[in-house]
Amino acid sequence: MDAFEGHQTFFITYDSARTRGLEHKYLLRNIGTNPLIMAHAFLYMLRILLQERPRVIVSTGSEIAIPAFYLAKLFRIKTIFIESWTRVDRPTGTGKIVYPVSDVFLVQWEQMLSKYGKKARYEGAIL
Amino acid sequence: MIFVTVGMHTKSFDRLLKKMDEIAGTLGEEVIMQIGHTSFRPKNAKWFDFTTEAGIKEWCKKSRVVVTQPALSILEAQEQGTPVIVVPRLKKYNEVIDDHQLDFARHLEREGKVIAVYDVDKLDVVLRKIDLKPVKLVRDKRLVNALKKYIEHFERS
Repeated sequence: MDAFEGHQTFFITYDSARTRGLEHKYLLRNIGTNPLIMAHAFLYMLRILLQERPRVIVSTGSEIAIPAFYLAKLFRIKTIFIESWTRVDRPTGTGKIVYPVSDVFLVQWEQMLSKYGKKARYEGAIL
Repeated sequence: MIFVTVGMHTKSFDRLLKKMDEIAGTLGEEVIMQIGHTSFRPKNAKWFDFTTEAGIKEWCKKSRVVVTQPALSILEAQEQGTPVIVVPRLKKYNEVIDDHQLDFARHLEREGKVIAVYDVDKLDVVLRKIDLKPVKLVRDKRLVNALKKYIEHFERS
């Protein structure tokens, strides 16, 4: 959270014991590969973005980033994607899907750079 | 005390929890498990499904060793100065969608960051070693600083 100091923030994440304690949040159920839940997530995300009007969206992934980043493109909200630390040289499905619409695309291992296009950058890891 | 944690992953990780529960019955050391979405219910170990971030850190701090999948939980344990043993989830057992955890465990093992155990039958021997040493977590602020820079740039534009 150090990175967001001085900015107003809110979370869009999955509902769990770990996330229920967050202050300003929207909790979704797991999207996984279910297209119906994904469609529902798009609608819910649309409502959230219209209500919150964020300037920037930062995501460390999972499928939630898909509706968030594509709708952000539509509303000209800037997006920063951070590929998972657990991925050394094997891209995530979500990473591949959001890569084209991300304004900033970061990977946490240098070996991963060659797996994505020119836009990908390595700026250290979440340590 | 040994703390076993499998995070928020939506797939079951019975292989690890069954083996750790079996070990809990013979080791004479308390075993606590955070079982998440795993369907197996331990009999010898104490368990709970989820807790808060502070809760996980507290269990890591109190434990002699943390047994986990290769994920962010490694950092939570190392932050508390506790040695970590990782057991990757494998695709062939339907514990994960691909074998990135296997790659990641090998990578961290090569870098000397964790002890990796690929065959759960070997956990018993590794856990009985008394000389498990913690790896010091070296903080890296580069990513946080890069994020600050990007966010400030976007706020101005």
